[in-house]
Amino acid sequence: MSRRLTLKKISLEAQLLLVGIPVLLWTLVPIYHMFLFAISERDTATSGRLWPKNPTLQNFEIVFQKKHFYLDHFWQQLFNSLWIAVAVGALTLFIATCAAFAISRLRVRGGRTVMNLALFTYFIPAAFLAVPMYKTMSNYGLLNNQWSLILAMVTIASPYCIWVLKQASDKLPLELDEAARMDGASPLQLFWLVYLPLMVPSLVAVGTYSLLLAWNEYLYAFLLLSNDKDVTLSVALGNFLSADDSPWELLMATGLIYAAPPAAIYYTFKRYMVGGLTAGAVKS
Amino acid sequence: MATVSFRKIEKAYGPVKVIHGIGFDIADGEFVVLVGPSGCGKSTLLRMLAGLEEITAGEILIDDKVVNDLESKDRDIAMVFQSYALYPHMTVRDNMAFSLKLRKADARLTAERVDNAARILNLGPLLDRFPKELSGGQRQRVAMGRAIVRDPKVFLFDEPLSNLDAKLRVAMRAEIKALHQRLKTTTVYVTHDQIEAMTMADRIVVMHDGIIEQIGTPLELYDHPGNLFVAQFIGSPSMNVFDGVLQREGAGATSTTAVSALGSLWPVAGLAGGSHGQKVHYGIRPGDLTLADAGIAAEVVVVEPTGAETELLLQIGSGATAQQLILVMHGRTNAQPGDTVHLAIDGAKAHVFDGQGGQRL
Repeated sequence: MSRRLTLKKISLEAQLLLVGIPVLLWTLVPIYHMFLFAISERDTATSGRLWPKNPTLQNFEIVFQKKHFYLDHFWQQLFNSLWIAVAVGALTLFIATCAAFAISRLRVRGGRTVMNLALFTYFIPAAFLAVPMYKTMSNYGLLNNQWSLILAMVTIASPYCIWVLKQASDKLPLELDEAARMDGASPLQLFWLVYLPLMVPSLVAVGTYSLLLAWNEYLYAFLLLSNDKDVTLSVALGNFLSADDSPWELLMATGLIYAAPPAAIYYTFKRYMVGGLTAGAVKS
Repeated sequence: MATVSFRKIEKAYGPVKVIHGIGFDIADGEFVVLVGPSGCGKSTLLRMLAGLEEITAGEILIDDKVVNDLESKDRDIAMVFQSYALYPHMTVRDNMAFSLKLRKADARLTAERVDNAARILNLGPLLDRFPKELSGGQRQRVAMGRAIVRDPKVFLFDEPLSNLDAKLRVAMRAEIKALHQRLKTTTVYVTHDQIEAMTMADRIVVMHDGIIEQIGTPLELYDHPGNLFVAQFIGSPSMNVFDGVLQREGAGATSTTAVSALGSLWPVAGLAGGSHGQKVHYGIRPGDLTLADAGIAAEVVVVEPTGAETELLLQIGSGATAQQLILVMHGRTNAQPGDTVHLAIDGAKAHVFDGQGGQRL
């Protein structure tokens, strides 16, 4: 009996590895490639070796010290990316939390309609809306203003976040609200003292999601911002390719730096990400 | 400490009416239990008193003041929920202090009240734990502590023992009763368990389908159920009831009354109402049936000894007209399944209900 169980376990493990190893390679090879470029000298970058002859950190030095035409505003652009991502994360979190609390806990009228409309926004791909969004921002005179990108990203991120938070807060027992009401809590106190502390895992997940969405955004950033000092690092990376002889090793070094924060954030909060984003996904 | 009055309370969800004009008063310091099968409206009534449900029609008064339009928090009542509803992110101490904190009470007073409640409920060593680190019974006590700290006019309990195992339920029952005797706070307690109602209540309100079937002390309800529903709902095992015809002979003090049913005459004493030939339901509690050498014959189907008592499942007649009865006797018996026994019945212990409406005669 136990032997059969062990065999079954081994077979399951083998199947998982059979799927897991290709997926891992598929994910890691490009990153390794990027890393390889980043530590290679300019001439040997495309040599096709698995490890460079003379690995160097010089590329990073060039990036950090802005010693290249494309990197003139590196620190400013990194900061732009950071500021926009944090602003989008915070704003989305605020909007989605308030919406979820009002719809799920206070049961405001029209809540269902709001939820359906939120879902409806995802019928249209974000790329289709890029031009209308551009027009709208121009109407408001926000073009070339970082707030245009922040608002656009909040618009794109909010509906999903509202859904996730609404599902998660539906799972909190209603008796908690009733107990708090009887204890004398106003809706605002209920929100601060009972609701928010219990929603922390979902809030972290949703905040991280929207932050990373904004950090990774290229299309809208490219469209809405054009001044070199205002653009995000993702747009700046794109600009590397505008020349015939792009400095690949610098592009990859910058890319590696750009990829580090999301990886770190995801790694820190991974416990919340899985639990938080799937909360309410299935009936438990 | 307060009185509570319900005046012609109605509740409807859209077109569906669930409570049909209920009215009764609760005296200061009284322990009243609302009991009834699920869906009878007892929890709804409690939640209306708590201010968690709108009142469709009628008035609820606490200390002679109408509270219909008062928010829950302004009614000065505390409620213990079936699911405990403890705040999972707060320690036991913070859970209990929460209401006082919201009221911006003095920190020293708060600590004093929490310590006091903790002492009453033996929660002292648990004050710094989180709810998830407590057992079911401990959580239940914390929920009670949270109510005690408030020192409210009225305690409300909504099926507080339903989530506990049988043994713990009995222990908590005694604890809640002792607590009431100590604090003497007016208490309204909802349960579907008639044993809980019988053991804890000063007065029981039996509800069914949104109306009150009967109000009375536990023994009043047990000894003089007002109708067939109460008769069968109160008492465990429940009352033996079967159909019969009222036989009345003679008049005045010399009259004799009995019910003919199952091929025998079942004695009745002290029956004022009812007329000869009327169709009735005859009821007799399992504990009021006794075995005798002669009397109504019945066949033993099952013998269930529990030590102190023995429960017999009996059958009278056979085929389609067979009627099963339960008999509970003190001590033990030699009766075996298949044996024939004879039943002696004290007519004074019989209950007779109208065959149509089920009202007590």
